[in-house]
Formats: sequence, C-alpha cells, structure tokens
Amino acid sequence: MATTSKQYKAIGEDLWKSRTDKINSELFALTYGALVVQLIQDYEDYAEVNKQLEKMGYNIGTRLIEDFLARSSLGRCSDFREVGEVAAKVGFKSFLNITPTVTHSGAPPPSSRSTSAAQQSGVPGSSFILTLDENPLAEFVELPDEALEGGLWFSNVLCGVLRGALEMVQMQVQVEFLSDVLRGDESTEIRVTLLKYLEEEVPVGDD
Amino acid sequence: MSHHLFLLSPSDTPIYSLTHYSTKLPQPTSSSLSSNLPTWSTSAFAGTLTALSGASSATQSHHVQGGSVRMGGGQDRHVIQMIANASLDIIEDVMRKESAMYLKSVDKFNEWTVSAFITPGSTHEIILLHETKNDDGIRSFFHDVWELYLKTMLNPFHTAHSPIRSTVFDTRVRASAKKYL
Repeated sequence: MATTSKQYKAIGEDLWKSRTDKINSELFALTYGALVVQLIQDYEDYAEVNKQLEKMGYNIGTRLIEDFLARSSLGRCSDFREVGEVAAKVGFKSFLNITPTVTHSGAPPPSSRSTSAAQQSGVPGSSFILTLDENPLAEFVELPDEALEGGLWFSNVLCGVLRGALEMVQMQVQVEFLSDVLRGDESTEIRVTLLKYLEEEVPVGDD
Repeated sequence: MSHHLFLLSPSDTPIYSLTHYSTKLPQPTSSSLSSNLPTWSTSAFAGTLTALSGASSATQSHHVQGGSVRMGGGQDRHVIQMIANASLDIIEDVMRKESAMYLKSVDKFNEWTVSAFITPGSTHEIILLHETKNDDGIRSFFHDVWELYLKTMLNPFHTAHSPIRSTVFDTRVRASAKKYL
C-alpha cells in the first residue's frame, strides 16, 4: 500500500516545521482582508470579486505547486483519492498550518458518499470535499450584510490555488465553496471535482 | 442602577451605545429635583427639570411625579446623550494634561458621574455614565470593552466610523458589564 494517511500527516508536519520563513498570522489575515475589501470597492459586484479572487488564486497555485513538489519530493498520486489526501494533509498543512478533513466521493450517482475504493480511482466526476475547521485568511472577519446577500466567498482565493496547482500536474478540476462559516453556515467546505486528466502538451517546436 | 456606555469614533459620533441595568446593590439615590420645586413653577421649567431629574435611575423614575407623561425611556435617552456630549469638552481638556488611558470621573451631573477612557493616539473614547463609584470595576470594564473593540477593528470591512452592529460584540460587552458593573 502506498503512503498512508498517517505518513502524509507526518510529512506535512515536517514540511511546516522545516520552513524558516513564517509570517505573523494577523498580518497575513489583515493583508488578505484589505485585498478583498479593495476588490469589492473596485468591482462593486460580488460575483466579479469571487471570480477575481479565483483568478488570483490560480496564478498563485501554478507557482505554488513547484515549490510544493520540490520540498515534499512526493511522487505522482496514484488516484484522485490520494490527491485529496495529499492536498489536505501535506499541502494545506505545509502552507497554512491547517489540516482540513477530507471526504471522498465517487463518480455519479452523487448520493453515495461511501469510500469504497472501486469507484474512486480517477474517474472524471469523482470529487472530494475539504472541510476547514479554521481559516487563517478569515480571522476577525465579519461579513457585512451586502456581502452576504451578494454571495461573496471570502476565501475564494483558495479555490483558485487548488485549481492552478492541480492543473500543473495534469488534472483539470472544478473547485468551489459549498459553505462558509463567515456566511453563517455550520462549516467551511470546498469541493474539488475532477473534470478530466490533461494530456501532456508537447512544446511548440519539438518534433 | 443603570449604566450608559458610549463608544465614540474619531469624529465624535457614537458608534456603539449600551444601557446596562446592574443587578448589584443599588445605592440609595438622592431625591429627585422636582420634589424641591415649588408647585407654582411654570410647567415648561418644571418639565425640563423633571426630565433632567428623570435621568436618575430607572427605579427612581417610577416615583417622580410632576405630571410629566413624557417620563420614560425616550426622554431619559436624550438627557443621557446630552450629558455624554457635554462631557466631551471636559475630556479634551483633561486629555491634554494626563497621558493615562483611563481618566477617572471627568464630570458630574446630578448623581451621574461620567468616566472616560481614551485610546492611545486619541482616536476613540469610551464614555460611561454611572451613578456609583466603582473605579476598579469600571477600569476593568473599560479594558475589556477596549479589547473587544480592537478585535472588531481588525475586521477589514470595518472602518473607524462605521457603527458596530455585530451581535457577538454586543453579547460580549453585556457579559463584561455584568461581570464588572
């Protein structure tokens, strides 16, 4: 059996500890908060702000994955299920020092949430849900009523990061928020759905 | 025995206010002014005085006579705010002399004492109207409210002048008031 979940946890923990350049979480949260507020003032449309946050996250993700692979020296994930495990236990842990819980879900029918391995391997349509019990981006934040009505996903940058990072490892995914404690929901959940595997692109000019 | 709390923004507009009725032992309050008025005083004057004296504790207000139908929360509110505003000037004066954050009672009006707390940088003031002397409790209360306000300020959607509408903040301030006042 490949690397177990416990080992992933240990790897994530090690990576976090070995990072010497950490930043004050308040400063980080304030910076991100200022960014979101500025975007809201500029665009004045919450759907557009969500889109921009996702785009920004995408740019971050495409670069972040290189750093991640270099430091963790983990190999290719055998199936989409493992992608979820690695993302939660190693990825989130090493960058944000949080470990969201992962709930896997096979391809349709979507009603079944069982973790039977047979269905999951890499069938487009399979997905996993990350449940964040704490969100360092949203410390001290309380959404005003207009933002709640407008449908703002405050931490939407995370969705972009996941999408960008996974695209660099040949997976096209759809990432979206399902719920957010800032909005008054019970928990903060992000769903990552596999759309398809991307073929290796041959660089232009090669034969 | 009640307390009135006001949080002021840099432009001296109240961004938060709270009235708290303490369950602690009320001190015997002084008799209302209107009872000292001769019966022939003009109704307007009497009305004002009744209103002013009506700014005494809630329990007392039941006993005040004078035929003033306006007695009650609304009238009290205006007077309370007037007292609070009046004390602002005094606070400014004291501010220049003292550098401490907690200014003890800066003003007295009838039986109301005004205590103030100024944040570093003179950005915000917290004003408390109270009847009884309770320096330590009030000091701790001010610190608590100040810390709660700091957390509110960290919210990126909150500007220095926006009124505080958060229910969480409200609950916590009330709990703190219950504890210290």
